[in-house]
Amino acid sequence: MLIAKNVTKKFGELVAVNNLSFEVKKGQVYGIAGPNGAGKSTVYNLITGNYSYEGKIEFNGQDITGLPPHRIAKAGIARTFQIPEIFPSLTVQKSIRLGSRFGARGGLDLEHTDKIISFVGLTSERFQNTRLLNLLGKKKLMIGAALATKPEILMLDEPMAGSNAQEIKSMMELIKKINQELGITIIIIEHFMKVLTELTETLLIIESGTMICCDKPEIVTSDPRVIESYLGDAYAESK
Amino acid sequence: MVFEIIDVIISGLINGSVYALMAVGLTLVYGVTKAFNFAYGSFYNMGGYFAWMLLIPVGLIGGYFSVFFVAIPVFFVVGYLLEKILISPLRKHDDWEMKVMMLTLGLSLFMDFGYQAVFGPRIKSLPGMIEGTLELGQVVLFHQDIVIFILSVGGMICFGWLLNNTRTGMAVQAVAQNPAGAKIVGIPKDFIFAATFAISTIMVGLGGILLSQKTFIDPMGSTNIMIKAWVITAFGGMGSISGSLYAAFILGMLEAFVGWHFGMIYVQIATLTLLLVTLTIRPRGLMGRE
Amino acid sequence: MSLKRMVLILCGFYCVMGIMPLFVGDTDYIMNILVMILIWAVVASCWDVIMGFAGIFSFGQVAFYVMGAYASAILSVSLDIPPVFAIMMAGVITGMLGVLVGLPCLKLAGPYIALVTFAVHMTLIPFLKGPLGRAIGSGGSQGILTIPPINLLGFAFSSEQLVPFFYLTLFLTIICTLILAFIIKSYWGTAFLALKDSENFATSLGISAFRYKLMVFAITSSITGLFGALYAHYVGMLSTKMLSMDVFTILMIMIVIGGIGKYPGVVVGAVITVTINQLLAPVGMYRPLIMGAMVVVLVLFLRDGVIGLAQKFSPLQRKLG
Ligand SMILES: Nc1ncnc2c1ncn2[C@@H]1O[C@H](COP(=O)(O)OP(=O)(O)O)[C@@H](O)[C@H]1O
Ligand SMILES: [Mg+2]
Repeated sequence: MLIAKNVTKKFGELVAVNNLSFEVKKGQVYGIAGPNGAGKSTVYNLITGNYSYEGKIEFNGQDITGLPPHRIAKAGIARTFQIPEIFPSLTVQKSIRLGSRFGARGGLDLEHTDKIISFVGLTSERFQNTRLLNLLGKKKLMIGAALATKPEILMLDEPMAGSNAQEIKSMMELIKKINQELGITIIIIEHFMKVLTELTETLLIIESGTMICCDKPEIVTSDPRVIESYLGDAYAESK
Repeated sequence: MVFEIIDVIISGLINGSVYALMAVGLTLVYGVTKAFNFAYGSFYNMGGYFAWMLLIPVGLIGGYFSVFFVAIPVFFVVGYLLEKILISPLRKHDDWEMKVMMLTLGLSLFMDFGYQAVFGPRIKSLPGMIEGTLELGQVVLFHQDIVIFILSVGGMICFGWLLNNTRTGMAVQAVAQNPAGAKIVGIPKDFIFAATFAISTIMVGLGGILLSQKTFIDPMGSTNIMIKAWVITAFGGMGSISGSLYAAFILGMLEAFVGWHFGMIYVQIATLTLLLVTLTIRPRGLMGRE
Repeated sequence: MSLKRMVLILCGFYCVMGIMPLFVGDTDYIMNILVMILIWAVVASCWDVIMGFAGIFSFGQVAFYVMGAYASAILSVSLDIPPVFAIMMAGVITGMLGVLVGLPCLKLAGPYIALVTFAVHMTLIPFLKGPLGRAIGSGGSQGILTIPPINLLGFAFSSEQLVPFFYLTLFLTIICTLILAFIIKSYWGTAFLALKDSENFATSLGISAFRYKLMVFAITSSITGLFGALYAHYVGMLSTKMLSMDVFTILMIMIVIGGIGKYPGVVVGAVITVTINQLLAPVGMYRPLIMGAMVVVLVLFLRDGVIGLAQKFSPLQRKLG
């Protein structure tokens, strides 16, 4: 469904993404992990067309390289941001309708947005200004607005960061529901290995922009290279 | 012809050196505080008028030497207080960047017409720092130009040293690179903001004292100076000190050549075209980071 | 602010302005001030829409005003185009120039946009004064002195007969300010707001930054140019004095008094500012000095303008605590 071929991104001297190739299949939950600064978020920014890059990215067989972000959103790729982004001037409902109005192929679909609002659990906050939401609320809002664009693929950037055990659990439920009930393919960047092993079918580990390995989570987490460069010995021992 | 061109190059170098001094101050204050100062040109004129006042009506003994001696602390205090009183209260709100631009634009109008009210609308000239010429074959150098060049380059070296070798200088750099991190390490951000603003006031004020000797003190000329300093800063990449240095000399040369070959009226058009073209090709300027 | 309240404030403004000629119709001095209030109200509104509402730091507002004025004057003087058409063409031309200025601004961060647009303002002065401007008919530093008045169906609207011209201006003001109100409240307006709040998030939801930012530039510069053109045919002469910093400052005071991004508070700002400016006329060269100081003080102490004040002291607010 989403195929990256030899994608490279340099920021001046720094090679943030180095000759990376991968494929995400329809219906999958696909995980990306790696140390801080590995280039994970940059991969998202390349897919969504925020930067120019070398190489090629295809979505549903169509070459999306070089398309501007809003066209990529309309093509069916939605995302969230690592540091939550919101619209401080708008209410929850307006923000989510915005996604539907501008990003969904059929235009504004009130029935769908109402469904989304309750789906992500923001019904009681729907008329609130988004500025007043807590961290979890902001993350739900980003997911809600993204879902309102009726995407085929949803890319989540560290959705669990800063959450407690309870919140992680409910976020995981939500992600599973999005994948199974709405049938949306998911890519997730995450640091919590437990989350990744439970959710994902394929796990891509990158370091310094380079792929270290890419396989089923069980296989990846026992790969000596991954343990050495990312998970650390402590993780291996705790297993 | 050849000697004319040499003259033009020399004039470009000298203007470039003073521009560099001013632009480095501006890029520093933008890099550190993110405040866009529209009144920068009025501080330049403050330098000119300050020197004029001390030299002509007051007749300070020691001439320019004493002027610099007095000017540096005075400009520091002026800059520091302005930042504390006018800019830092705005920083509390999220639309502060725009408010700072508007406020400083108002401030510049106030200052410019203030000069007119106090000193009269006519342009004033400053006496030269030093008389005499140096003749190298057919090339004639004014002593004054040499001194201006040495002082502005010296000023920058001095400033670079302070930035890299003093606690405050290093704190300034830390805030510029990572404001959030600097806060965690316990650097007093508010003091750094005000101090940076004050230092930039010194640099542009000194620029005014130096360059006004070659040109004039024009109460209405501050907008042009402000634009020039900003063009250099943006051209070089806002916040990049080395970028500003290159840009200052490039602009100094460009001005000298355009003025010589096409006439002064085209200088500003050329400068601004340069800015537009650069920013269209490189939105973050010559040396700015993506 | 809801559309209803916006329209309500605007209607109040129209009504007050509309009945003024009944009382002061034969005092040219005051009628002239009223006409200028109407013109500035629209120009300042456009600025508030692009800068306050859409969050684009455009400092080229006066430049577009002057471009419109010169465009229409040149068209009608050099090419003998009837003023009515010249004004319309000037609106279209400034709209296109707005897009042209907007294009390089799309990729730029906030302060760079301020710089580029202000640079356009500053370039306009040597351009219009110099040989390049003279070549297209700007009249150099002397300016253009013989701009014909608007002539509609054989009736001349000019500064000779202020009342008809006033109502013509009022008519155009009503149309343009209402258009702006509806745009702000339409989904376009929501797109502008979203792009201002977070461009990354907005584009990730399918909003085209390219389209909507250029749209803001096009709309605001076009309406601004239209009113610049109207002004040109009203006063009959133009010079680059219009680009002086105190004109810019007056405009700035209007939006600060009205409340930045609090459209249509800015029309109230226009009324207050033009009045103050006229009252200050006797102090001569101290006027810009005072205006400059006013900007500083108002930016510091009147955060959200009169609209902010009104909201603060309105009974509804008090009830909510
Ligand atoms: N816009 C940018 N300009 C310059 N460097 C960047 C930019 N975005 C990211 N980087 C650099 O690219 C590297 C990868 O960053 P990122 O993708 O955010 O890492 P991760 O999400 O894996 O933690 C980092 O070294 C970061 O500093
Ligand atoms: Mg990241």
